[in-house]
Amino acid sequence: MTEQLAKKQSSWRVVDIVIASVVAVASGVFFWAWSAGYGLFSLAFVAFPPATALLTGGWLFPAVLGALIIRKPGAALFCEILAAVIEALLGSHWGMGVLISGLVQGLGAEVVFAMFLYRKWNLPVALLAGLGSGLFAGISEAYIVANLTEYTEAMKVFHVAATAFSGLVVAGLLSWWAVRGLAKTGALGKLASRRAHLEPAVAGTK
Amino acid sequence: MSSALEPRTEARTRQGLSISAKNFGWQHAERAVPAISGLNVEIPAGQKVLVLGPSGAGKSTLLYALAGVLEIDEEAAPSGELLVGGKNAFDRSFPVGLMQQDPETQIVQSRVGDDVAFGAENLGVDPQLIRERIPRALEAVGLGALDYEHRTQELSGGQKQRLALAGIMAMGPGLMLLDEPTANIDPQSIPPLRDAVINAAQSSGATLIVVEHRLEAWAKHVDRVLVLEPGGGLAHDLTPQALFDDEQIRAELAQAGVWVPGYVPRTRSQLRTPGAAKLTAKDLVCARGEHAVRTAPASLTVASGAAVVIRGENGAGKSTLALTLGGLLEPVAGELQASSELADGLAAGPFSWKAGALVARIGSVFQEPEHQFVTQSVREELAFAPLRAKRGSGDELKYDPAQVDARVDELLTRLRLQDLAEANPFTLSGGEKRRLSVATVLAASPDVVILDEPTFGQDANTWRELAQLLIEELESSTAVVAVTHDEDFAKALGAQQIELAPATGISGVRGSAGPMLDAPVADSWLAKINPLAKLGAIAGATLPLISTMDWVSATVVIAAALCALPLAGLGIGAFFKRGWPLLAAGLMAAWGIALVGEDSGAVLLNIGIFQITEGSVAGGVATGLRALAMAVPMVLLLSTTNPSDLGGALSQQLKVPHRFVLGALAGMRLLGLMVEEFTTLTLARRARGVGNLGTMRQRVKAKAGQLLALLVQGIRRAGRLATTMEAKGFGTGERTWIRTVSFTFRDGAVLAAGILLGVAALGIAMWAGTYNLVW
Repeated sequence: MTEQLAKKQSSWRVVDIVIASVVAVASGVFFWAWSAGYGLFSLAFVAFPPATALLTGGWLFPAVLGALIIRKPGAALFCEILAAVIEALLGSHWGMGVLISGLVQGLGAEVVFAMFLYRKWNLPVALLAGLGSGLFAGISEAYIVANLTEYTEAMKVFHVAATAFSGLVVAGLLSWWAVRGLAKTGALGKLASRRAHLEPAVAGTK
Repeated sequence: MSSALEPRTEARTRQGLSISAKNFGWQHAERAVPAISGLNVEIPAGQKVLVLGPSGAGKSTLLYALAGVLEIDEEAAPSGELLVGGKNAFDRSFPVGLMQQDPETQIVQSRVGDDVAFGAENLGVDPQLIRERIPRALEAVGLGALDYEHRTQELSGGQKQRLALAGIMAMGPGLMLLDEPTANIDPQSIPPLRDAVINAAQSSGATLIVVEHRLEAWAKHVDRVLVLEPGGGLAHDLTPQALFDDEQIRAELAQAGVWVPGYVPRTRSQLRTPGAAKLTAKDLVCARGEHAVRTAPASLTVASGAAVVIRGENGAGKSTLALTLGGLLEPVAGELQASSELADGLAAGPFSWKAGALVARIGSVFQEPEHQFVTQSVREELAFAPLRAKRGSGDELKYDPAQVDARVDELLTRLRLQDLAEANPFTLSGGEKRRLSVATVLAASPDVVILDEPTFGQDANTWRELAQLLIEELESSTAVVAVTHDEDFAKALGAQQIELAPATGISGVRGSAGPMLDAPVADSWLAKINPLAKLGAIAGATLPLISTMDWVSATVVIAAALCALPLAGLGIGAFFKRGWPLLAAGLMAAWGIALVGEDSGAVLLNIGIFQITEGSVAGGVATGLRALAMAVPMVLLLSTTNPSDLGGALSQQLKVPHRFVLGALAGMRLLGLMVEEFTTLTLARRARGVGNLGTMRQRVKAKAGQLLALLVQGIRRAGRLATTMEAKGFGTGERTWIRTVSFTFRDGAVLAAGILLGVAALGIAMWAGTYNLVW
């Protein structure tokens, strides 16, 4: 019985898949609107380009948000990759690179949720997942995909730290807060997270 | 579950399925009382049944139970027995068709032909048979003229519902279930849809069950009428004639909000004389954006204490006109002037007013109430606009907080929402949301109120309350403008009717200003290549570049990709139109590295702590070029590939689970809709008094709220879409595909060319001596 229940909790239903993909699409729309509406908002960072890493969290939130909403293994990865695909399809930057970023960033969050056996979805776990996603993204950019291979070492370290911090705050904190807001509206009624707003911020287990 | 569809027999499904409920009940999770209990009814095969009842009577629940898509878990479970064709409904032994009310979520695929085939493919029907069924089904619903490649997103609401019906027919179901199929489509589209449904049922012999609250269209075409009791079973089992003759039944149903044929709720009416003009439009031309369709010029006067109703064909731009009158869109041409009394010290054009000044003067009620909700409780929602309303030309508040409290309490009572004061607005029922959205606008007591289709999909009770509320507003000298097809509503308001001429130069096709994922792919050499071959070629050409940071290898790849543009049917101009963000991104990357990269060689520029040196510039150029080289080949793929085809190839050839591929594609199809919604939300928030300006914190908070609203809408829609897909047999077992994917010699050549390019790029860089391993 418990085995059956565990299987039921970890397998994806059609509604999980479609809602996860809509979360990714909504994120894609938001990126699009944000960069279209606010134009060249990153121009603010022209004076000190590595600081753009502080904005990276905005590109990481589908991973944490998707996982906190769907609460299934693979949700972070699925949402982040799909959001990346949508960005690529919308003709955004970096081509193939955006897909690799999506994979790496999603993985960073996924690893954290897996460490908690997909049982904890509270604030500390969300923050850690955001941090994990940011760390993976920063390290990959600085050392593996190495867009920043020409940076000085100090700048690379700054880049990783800034990306991780951004992941923690934007992807971690804001996603957690958003899921509580969503649960209050009753929109998550069909999902495992439907009572997210009633769960304690720190202790919550499920 | 995989065996659920096992008897995939053709013969059995060409005739109707009988239904038998014995003491059937259903308990939803987290509800105190069951939605249905003790339902006993026998419906013979082929009967056409209309199901009625007050809201909350479990009508939809019954349909979803019959479709077998209600999820049974620890908290939600059926009781008694519900049989379809003699077998438990939840086992889904036979194909059953289900249509819900929101047209947007009844469509799954992005192309017409694919969408018709979707359900039959899920049932594992032979592709050859499906190809024969598609034209028949499209013909039967009156969409025979549509090309199979036509984008489903461009269809009108009524057409979408008919397309969904064609998809249901192609499944060959013995039972068709329709949940308020006409609630969200305009009145002219109702008869063709109704006729298509009745014909489909008659020709296939399928049993038909329709839930509706507007009975006019259906009453004469069904065999039987069932009335459900809230929280219980059957209240009445009637002949359709009783809806016309039986006064007691008519009165009872009308009381429950059902639109019995010929019924118009009574409202108080008295003759009024219009007061002074508040808003005057002269040859006003409106559009949603620079490149969007423009409305025909309109002239009208909105006077205090008088109502104006705007009518016109679909696509004429009635909503756009309403948004412009409401000061939310800038007029394209012509004049829109507020009287000096209304402007109260501000300029005459409402679009120039700040949000706080606007809500105090002109209120706009959007078609979808949820677009306007900005807070977490009904009380806050009502207080929101009055707390922000400004009078005069300065920052003077229209109300002090005590006055606001008094207004909120008064409105809560007037709208019978006292008990829900602390509830989250999104959790209200449809009728309550509608009343609240009107009340939130009236709360700031604007002199002019503009409503877009306020009675759409509402039951008779909400209709009456809305009409009454607006009549009271008219009596207190407010001017009312409504976009509506509803003649009875116009009459109840004693409105002057204005017909907006059709916009020129377009058909009924919906244009989308935002990005499109499934833009039609032009015919070109590359368009015929297997999507996976193209994807593999791009990976082969660009991934090796990750290993190095030099300008030579990057340049080789960029040059090769540009040379391949003709194969994709792209000119250099078209390429730059599509690819300019890539250039911007490449430049940005180059600048970043030039500034903070490793310094070496001569110093070119000294800015504070940074130096730009020959070395850092060279690094910047290499980084920028590499970013471009990674991105440019992708344009070749994107401009020649339909995402649906890529998905099909991923699933059929790489064996990526089709549930995830098609689920993702279905979600992605909503992109255009969500972009539209995001734009609407921006306007709706201004209409609620949320300004565009303010501190960074306020702006971020406002945007976050908007994202939340977008997500709420999107997630709800995704839930309905998932139900549609499940009802069409999605995800239950092996499926067939009408679009098969092949991998030919030519595809292999493209793949090989890509890999060769990658190797050549690195080789040339090594030969030139610029190759440098980044790790």
